[in-house]
Amino acid sequence: MEFSYEVKDSYAEVKADGRLNMVSAPKLREFVTDVIAGGSNRIVVNLENTAFMDSSGLGALIGCLKAARQAGGDLRIAAVQPQVNMVLKLTSMDKVLTAYPTAGEAFSND
Amino acid sequence: MTEVLASRSFRGPAAEDAIEDVHNDLDSLWLDVPFVNEMDQMTFTTAVIESASNIVQHAQPAGEREVELGVDTTVQPALLQARVSAYYAKPPFGPMEPATPGEDAESGRGLALIEALVTTVTFERQDGTNTWVLSRTSSED
Repeated sequence: MEFSYEVKDSYAEVKADGRLNMVSAPKLREFVTDVIAGGSNRIVVNLENTAFMDSSGLGALIGCLKAARQAGGDLRIAAVQPQVNMVLKLTSMDKVLTAYPTAGEAFSND
Repeated sequence: MTEVLASRSFRGPAAEDAIEDVHNDLDSLWLDVPFVNEMDQMTFTTAVIESASNIVQHAQPAGEREVELGVDTTVQPALLQARVSAYYAKPPFGPMEPATPGEDAESGRGLALIEALVTTVTFERQDGTNTWVLSRTSSED
């Protein structure tokens, strides 16, 4: 899995491309923690190119959400693909991790 | 005798690399049986990867040999089945019941997720091997 980020006007967009599984989940956590440490506490994780997520990946997103909130901000997810949406719904975590159609819409009303 | 339309077998050290190998095996399996609908492919793949990851993360060696992961997947006309095994492993420690972790928990959802994804899950312990048998009755398009 490959990670990248871009700081926008009101948030930092993290792109996670590939499979978000037990191998890549700790790396996502570390990557987002570094972005937060760099001064961004409003994070959008763009999952447009994340075709697969397991419970480890879900756990990493929850850890990232907690880290963003502890830094006084928030974390939202965007462009969720069908398999990821299925995992979010089956675990009822779609109520905790708010999904937006695009990264640009995630913080547009704040 | 039940007709097997496609199958894949993996066996190797229960290490992180194995998860990507098993996932690639499943992706290639679906190319052999394109009539299996996308929902069945997606749910079954997720259940198998969850089970295999559980072994890589939690299986403990019973002796000096390292734990090996085995994943045997078969597609039958109306049934998807996988035998996900931990060879040379101790019996699993702790309850085998799915947990219901709190909203902010970062782990503990795997077993419940597997149960939600497949029709039946059974567990076998034989000759030092723990095997999860995952079955999903495939649906019509």
